[in-house]
Amino acid sequence: MKIPRLLLFVIIVVISYGIFKAPGILLNQPIPSSLIVMYMFFAVVTTLLWITSTEKGMQGLVGPIKTMIEDPSKKTLRNIVFVIVPLVAGGITYMQLKPSYEAPVELRSIHPAPPSTVKVFGKTFNLATLVNPYRKFEKEDPAKFAQFVKEGGEVYFKNCFYCHGDKLDGKGHYAHGFNPLPLAFTDIGTIAQLQESFVFWRISTGGPGLPKEAAPWVSAMPVWENFITEDEKKRERQYTTRNAGGAMVRMGRETVLQPNF
Amino acid sequence: MISGGMNHISLWKGMSGTSMPNWDDVLKEQERWDIVAYIKTFSGLDKPAKGPIDYKNQIKSSKESIEKGKETFKKMCAECHGEEGRGDGTKKLKDDLGFRTWPRNLTKPWTFRVDNDPKEIYTRISNGIPGTQMPSFADPTSKKTLSDEERWNVANYIVSIADDVKRPKDDTVLKAIRVEGELPDKVDDPKWSVAESTSFYMIPQIIAKERFFTPSLDSITAKAFYNGKEISILLEWDDRTKSIPGDEKAKEIAEGDVLEDSVAIQLPVTIPEEMEKPYFGMGDSVRPVNIWQWKSGKKDASEAIKLLNANGFQKVEQRDAGKTGLRATGIYNNGTWRVVMKRQLATEEKGKDIQFEEGRYTPISFAAWDGSNGESGSRHVMTTWSWLLLKPATPKSTYIIPLIVVVVVFGGELLLARSSRKKI
Ligand code: HEC
Ligand code: HEC
Repeated sequence: MKIPRLLLFVIIVVISYGIFKAPGILLNQPIPSSLIVMYMFFAVVTTLLWITSTEKGMQGLVGPIKTMIEDPSKKTLRNIVFVIVPLVAGGITYMQLKPSYEAPVELRSIHPAPPSTVKVFGKTFNLATLVNPYRKFEKEDPAKFAQFVKEGGEVYFKNCFYCHGDKLDGKGHYAHGFNPLPLAFTDIGTIAQLQESFVFWRISTGGPGLPKEAAPWVSAMPVWENFITEDEKKRERQYTTRNAGGAMVRMGRETVLQPNF
Repeated sequence: MISGGMNHISLWKGMSGTSMPNWDDVLKEQERWDIVAYIKTFSGLDKPAKGPIDYKNQIKSSKESIEKGKETFKKMCAECHGEEGRGDGTKKLKDDLGFRTWPRNLTKPWTFRVDNDPKEIYTRISNGIPGTQMPSFADPTSKKTLSDEERWNVANYIVSIADDVKRPKDDTVLKAIRVEGELPDKVDDPKWSVAESTSFYMIPQIIAKERFFTPSLDSITAKAFYNGKEISILLEWDDRTKSIPGDEKAKEIAEGDVLEDSVAIQLPVTIPEEMEKPYFGMGDSVRPVNIWQWKSGKKDASEAIKLLNANGFQKVEQRDAGKTGLRATGIYNNGTWRVVMKRQLATEEKGKDIQFEEGRYTPISFAAWDGSNGESGSRHVMTTWSWLLLKPATPKSTYIIPLIVVVVVFGGELLLARSSRKKI
């Protein structure tokens, strides 16, 4: 059976609208309405061009409309359509004009390019060459390495889990109060993909250490450089880099399913 | 008195309001039951104290059931949960480990351990919450018992007092509504009922020293009006205690010394052109903020509003609030503080005070202190930046243009019909 052209046109337009709306309804990541209007415009025009490209198609599309207007037996239908169409047009216009008071969209870079050097703990680190000094023990002395990771895990559960979550999934107890949300460390493609020097920089300087494109003024990520006590300051470099290193390793490699690190 | 079901649910869904995580995706069904069995053996809770909960006599919610439940609530529950259920009881509570606990605010079901399905509430009332002071009301050895019917009625009452307005939603724009004439400057002005409410989560200040990990407040609701001259903002937040230093009653319930309750609004001194805002934690060296902080007053001192300018928390300047026309006043009632702050849209010191502008998205954030919970200084709860918008009146063209479209399209249709009739 051949689908009447007019019906086909309506079906295609409705399906296109559904597709453009789906990301918003299903994934909670709506396409901005101005974009949807543009996409719909193209969808309608393309479909019209395609259907009317043949004489028969043209007939199929216009024919039923003509009959409806001209055939006296279709009078009731015509009157109904004549009332509905202007109302729908007016309604669409109103929806377009109605001012929206939603929060402005602010795009921020999630993993911005790090600076070349960072000055923390009283020392300047070159981020291009910085390597995690404790990573080498992974092969050389696994027992020692495991100890560092464990220490890192303790640091994590004393300081970070409130936001980044017990399960490192970014769903900490207070995560809902922040925008941007604390990042998840469990997804492949986040921490595991990042240079350890990048992570070291992020942990040391937190939200305020971010460059402009990453919107430092809204990130709640604390500046962990500020959290070393006087006593620790003496052993500063040793201690903090090691702990941060441990926390990083834990975030990067182990998962909560191996609670004994 | 613990039911296996409760533990199982807790392990499954996690417990909101606690740091108990959601293990749903980590533990398998059988593993969860194994853990429940395991925990019970060493806690001595494995004795079958009571059969599983039975919901067969559930009473459907009705006006009558809720009314009865309310009476029972006032008699049996209000001493802990407060007259209207906001957790503002008169009894000081500690959990089994000796830590200070605050009874649940029953008007905020999104903070519950599970949810406020009447069956869940009925289960809590029947079993109590082990480890806390929430008692069982179905324990025959206890003096305080309620009949099955009474427990269902109370459950229905609790479902009925949920206050969804206070639940923070996705929309984080506080919209100030334009009005003609005087703005309300009292919290109980009936005009407030037509303003739009926006609610925000407040989280403890765990970002900079000195951090604070034991909050008792969790959200704040705001409304605002403005006219050609002034803006008036109403802040409303549930606080279990009215903290008046020097007051005997306040001292009885407080944890430690009684300090003043307080609330603050933070705004940038200059409304940012683009997205570049001051740092949300009291501004930064180049972008200062205004902080309006209201304090509840002491027994021998009345409430007061402070105006601070900050470039980061180490660089704070106290200013004269009166000079900018900033005023504030608050009232405490049954577990809720309501405070109105009012200021002129424009002030004389343009470089030091925010100058409000209609239609501009303006960053705004909030902080609050519960003085009976040891909160002062950096120990408080807070929000990060949200938005305040002085919502302009909708232009008339918004309504007129669609009307014109209706008329034009309809006219077009008539022409079409006429021309086709001619053809015949
Ligand atoms: C107050 C909440 C909070 C706490 C506590 C916190 N973080 Fe964060 N963290 C955030 C937020 C929010 C982000 C996302 C915004 C950003 O990138 O700055 C973030 C981002 C990060 C990133 C960047 C990840 C990436 O993929 O780029 C790292 C690394 C990180 N946190 C590590 C830590 C460590 C380690 C701790 C504990 C020592 C910690 N955080 C504690 C809130 C927090
Ligand atoms: C002795 C004080 C006390 C009394 C009396 C009391 N409660 Fe509670 N109730 C508590 C405490 C404390 C909690 C919070 C326990 C926790 O930390 O989860 C609580 C929690 C609850 C919850 C849990 C909500 C949830 O799922 O998180 C409900 C429902 C509740 N109470 C209802 C009642 C009702 C109904 C009564 C009267 C029949 C009552 N309570 C009497 C102290 C009390």
